[in-house]
Amino acid sequence: MMSSNYDELKNIFVDVVDKSAYVELESATYNYDVLESSLDKPLKMVLLYGKPGTGKSMLLNKLYHNLKENREIHYFEAPILSEKEFLKSIYEGMSGQVIPERMRVNFDGLLKYCQKLKNQREIIFLLDECQLYSEPLMEKIRLLSDTRVVKFVITLHKTENEEVIAKEHFKTRIWEVIELCNANEYDLEVYIQKKVIKKGFVDVSNSIKKRDIKFIHTHTNGNFRETNKYLYTIFDIYDYYEKNEPKKISSNKFSRKILEMAAIRLGYINA
Amino acid sequence: MHKVKELENKWFNYKVKKILSPLIAISASSLLVVGGYYIYLSQEDKLHSLISSTVSSSTRATSVLGVSRDANNSINNLQKKEKVIEKIVDKKVLEEKIEEVKLEKKLEEPKILEKIALAPIIPVIDMAKEERIADVKRPRPVKVSRNTVAAKKNDYLTAKELAVVRRTQKREKVVPRKTKKMKFTSSDSNYFETMQHKFSKSNSPRDALLLAKVYYKKAEYVEAEKWALSANKLNNSLEESWLLFAKSKVKLGKKKEALKILVSYYKKSQSIKAKRLIGQIKTGKI
Ligand SMILES: Nc1ncnc2c1ncn2[C@@H]1O[C@H](COP(=O)(O)OP(=O)(O)O)[C@@H](O)[C@H]1O
Ligand SMILES: [Mg+2]
Repeated sequence: MMSSNYDELKNIFVDVVDKSAYVELESATYNYDVLESSLDKPLKMVLLYGKPGTGKSMLLNKLYHNLKENREIHYFEAPILSEKEFLKSIYEGMSGQVIPERMRVNFDGLLKYCQKLKNQREIIFLLDECQLYSEPLMEKIRLLSDTRVVKFVITLHKTENEEVIAKEHFKTRIWEVIELCNANEYDLEVYIQKKVIKKGFVDVSNSIKKRDIKFIHTHTNGNFRETNKYLYTIFDIYDYYEKNEPKKISSNKFSRKILEMAAIRLGYINA
Repeated sequence: MHKVKELENKWFNYKVKKILSPLIAISASSLLVVGGYYIYLSQEDKLHSLISSTVSSSTRATSVLGVSRDANNSINNLQKKEKVIEKIVDKKVLEEKIEEVKLEKKLEEPKILEKIALAPIIPVIDMAKEERIADVKRPRPVKVSRNTVAAKKNDYLTAKELAVVRRTQKREKVVPRKTKKMKFTSSDSNYFETMQHKFSKSNSPRDALLLAKVYYKKAEYVEAEKWALSANKLNNSLEESWLLFAKSKVKLGKKKEALKILVSYYKKSQSIKAKRLIGQIKTGKI
């Protein structure tokens, strides 16, 4: 492995949702295409659904940046939990007006406002982390989508309990559901290699072999967030050795020892 | 950076164990095979001696009675008897084994019970502090009378006002294609940052607990655990911090730790919620 900047390498795997960090993967590309084409269907809501760390925010972010030039689209990357602020933001997004601090947006008024725009405009709102919204607020979101003037694309974490709740919603509403899953070994390999190569570490990418990917996959299950954490830890240990005991690392082989050490540090292996 | 050194030692121990364990397994299994064979041999010996003694006694009996029988008959008889004896011996061995198993079970059962009762109470949370505060009574929630709600100026935008806004807008001819990324200036937009900032200033256990709750909902259990612990450190009589801490632990696969913590908390607080949660964790409902 290249004995260069491990500090830079580990920072490649800091968890960020940013369009510049996006890499094309078979599954991600497929899901993205489904997502984008679903916006042209007569749907009220589109749901991105999956376990934490499967790339929901990443897709939503990409969607926003791809469409912002030619569609009316607004992106709430962090949930707006207070109803007052939420309704205000929706109205401000639609109208382009700023509501004074002391004013509130009345929900019925907002609904009427939407109804009057029917067949004139279609505005898309991207809401990330929807599991944080309260049930009453979700109900308002649904009512707004019923006007067919605003369309929501929302992301929701999948947990055992929410699965049931979510399914209840789907029965009564017109939804598109796109479920994201953990990466398989192939996609995980592409993910790691593309990320590393993107920053110019071609040798590092070459030193990571199939068996290493297998090893990583068994511990992270192909979850992107978990994989980020794992690779960050691996390069963090490399970083230490490079600075303190450079003799202990070789330049052309991805060290199984460090892989295992990182796994121990993260509790994947009990030692 | 001695942490990596520590990690290296752990790794070394892990490797040694990993290499040694198959060796141990092999030697153990070979011991078992040899031992088992030995026992088998000795039992067979016993069986043979048993059979031969009964056979000789039966032949003696026939000779004493003086009943003459032909050789074939007596051989048949002998074979039958042998079979019966074999069956008896088999049955005996079986019964003995059943007894043994029963005994073992009997011995094990009280052990498990003991384990549950005496489960070591080594919570991760600072317990010394907890003990001190445990006696202090929790403040009762202040009851708010409904009649005392203060009249508030209505600051909703009515439909009418909205309509006005809309008309003015129409005059301005908003280009529908125009997009605008939401600018978040309010405290709710970047919830986590704001909350963490708020917490760093207030150091209030309530804020920490709130963050823990939101992280838990968000399924970020490492963060949830961290913030529940923060809340608990600041005020460990906050029941929710105990429950959330334990729940996060369960989600992180540390069921045993979670139970330890909850049991210790339950012993002090007799909290019904804690008890219920213990039940839920044990039955795998969480
Ligand atoms: N297609 C992708 N390209 C690059 N990085 C990705 C991709 N999908 C996921 N990731 C990485 O995984 C991390 C977790 O993804 P994220 O979208 O935040 O998951 P979720 O929102 O489902 O919890 C991100 O920070 C990012 O680094
Ligand atoms: Mg996300």
